[in-house]
Amino acid sequence: MLESAIEILLKTIVILALPLGALPLIIHVERRGAAFMQKRLGPNRVGPFGLLQPLADVAKFMFKEEVHPTHVKPFFYVAAPLVALVVAILPLACIPIAAPFELFGRTIFPEVFRTDMGIFYAFAVSALGSYGILLAGWASNNKYSMLGALRACAQMVSYELSLSTSVVAMIFLYGTNDIHQMIGAQTGYWFGFLPKWGVFIQPVAAMLFLVGIFAESNRLPFDLAEGESEIVAGYHLEYSSMKFALFFMAEYIHMIALSALFIILFFGGYALLPGMSFLAEKSPILLVALQALSLITKIALMIWFFVWVRWTLPRFRYDQLMTLGWERLLPLGIANLIITVLFVYYRN
Amino acid sequence: MEFASFIVFFVIACTLGGVLLGISSLLGQKRKIVRKNDVYESGVNAVGSATRQYDVKFYLTAILFLLFDVEIVFLLPWAMTFNQASNQAFLLKGFIFFMVILLVGYIFVINSKALKWDE
Amino acid sequence: MGVDILLTILTVVFALMVVFSKKTVVSAFALLMTLLCLAMIYFQLGTVFLSAVQVLVNAGAIAILFVFVMMLIDLEQFPNNRERNKIKLVISIFTILIIMGVLALIINNNIDTLTVINLSDNSMKALFEKLYNTYYLPFEMATVLLLAAIVACVVITNHRKDDDSDNEGADKGVHP
Repeated sequence: MLESAIEILLKTIVILALPLGALPLIIHVERRGAAFMQKRLGPNRVGPFGLLQPLADVAKFMFKEEVHPTHVKPFFYVAAPLVALVVAILPLACIPIAAPFELFGRTIFPEVFRTDMGIFYAFAVSALGSYGILLAGWASNNKYSMLGALRACAQMVSYELSLSTSVVAMIFLYGTNDIHQMIGAQTGYWFGFLPKWGVFIQPVAAMLFLVGIFAESNRLPFDLAEGESEIVAGYHLEYSSMKFALFFMAEYIHMIALSALFIILFFGGYALLPGMSFLAEKSPILLVALQALSLITKIALMIWFFVWVRWTLPRFRYDQLMTLGWERLLPLGIANLIITVLFVYYRN
Repeated sequence: MEFASFIVFFVIACTLGGVLLGISSLLGQKRKIVRKNDVYESGVNAVGSATRQYDVKFYLTAILFLLFDVEIVFLLPWAMTFNQASNQAFLLKGFIFFMVILLVGYIFVINSKALKWDE
Repeated sequence: MGVDILLTILTVVFALMVVFSKKTVVSAFALLMTLLCLAMIYFQLGTVFLSAVQVLVNAGAIAILFVFVMMLIDLEQFPNNRERNKIKLVISIFTILIIMGVLALIINNNIDTLTVINLSDNSMKALFEKLYNTYYLPFEMATVLLLAAIVACVVITNHRKDDDSDNEGADKGVHP
């Protein structure tokens, strides 16, 4: 009993600490990356390479004046950032950072809780993501915020459809909902060098999912919810100090969680990167460490991809965004699903 | 066991958010400036309230999402059962019929131009 | 552990808030919390699948309620007139009758309401088997029902009035 309590607490702390600890680093990478792409210097004064800048920012957020506008709905105004953060954190609960391993005679599953329906749980909880934004927009009682929230809601739900079709196609191919089994199906190589990743079987589904996570996490080129040239800052316009920071954190954690899901479905999750397997044979603990390292490397590359896209593509117009979601991606997703099903059926 | 882990995770996540919110309201400066608490309207006085009529398309998008989402939720367990099923031909027929109806609905939505935002 | 009792109490409290709250958004939020608490109860009973479906579908449904409330002008200031009170009275009487009927059924038939149903994700899989094989007709009819709903909501909301040109542009949230 005590042992399992300690296990739960340790797992919770590790899985919360990893993304939260990485946040300042990610924000720094984003700012330096932006500067790099625009031939600027970026933050480079505080500490070596400006690495202490995020800490200074955190301190600033803490000591800033909290503006509490008079026209807001008080309870929901305070609750909205909290809802946004908690909902962004929840999907992380069943993302495994390594394969199950033995320690002190116990089999340890390196995720907060283990279930057969892992992918389904994460997917359902991340669908709640629009609530923080909707609540914030409504509670702010400001026209810009309201429009931002409505836009965000319409956009997130539209792209969730094509994202769901790609998830259905992948669950159909793997024939399971269990994350460990999915990753198990993706370990190994074809022809000795090509990793058995889902992206090579289902490139269309991977593309749909990738576009979907950009839209779900409100990142450029889909950040219409905060398009500053039209609606200033969108749903978090009336927020300041730590309340604003919570929205900011929520967006990045949502990004990390969705990237992790993407990697589990299409890039083999914690499956070892090519070239690591000879190291992993030495000891089981080293294997676990290498698996965690593989997952973290993959997520880091995804985050860099987010930054890269952000400073490369301009923002869509709203009607283009909706047309792309409903008239291009959704039929593509449905067609992909039907073709996959027919192909699998006639191959058997 | 799973549920206990989930509850622990949930409670810790909530506490974390609450503590962060509490820190800034404890440490932050407090000044009473009335104008600062007004509605932000790019520097001009706000006209009217923010609760006004918005385009019905936002609502239509949301409700169409719900209907299509329910259809896709029906497909998720289908995708899970298909591989272990013995009578795959029967399941496939059901799937085809389902998709045809879904496509009819989809084509109706597109043809009615309900989701054309640029008109 | 008592978590189940706490969850049950929370569910009931939020459900009461849905009914008795004067503000529409508070009602919608309370409804969301009710359904999330129900999802947690399913989770506690051992079926993650059911709770995930609950969250997935209801999350969307109540987001729509929110949007609906946000779209309407000052829904909170509905006049509390007699007509409305009458409707309220009729609905409450019906609800009370239904609840009493259900209670009478339970008491008369000696249904043991405290039987713990053995739910798990494996039993859910058996349920899917039944759904797609034995009960395939209701499953297909569900899509027909959804098709009807799609057609209905497009037809109702998609009026194209040519005369209201004064509210175009800015409110659409698109570029003029």
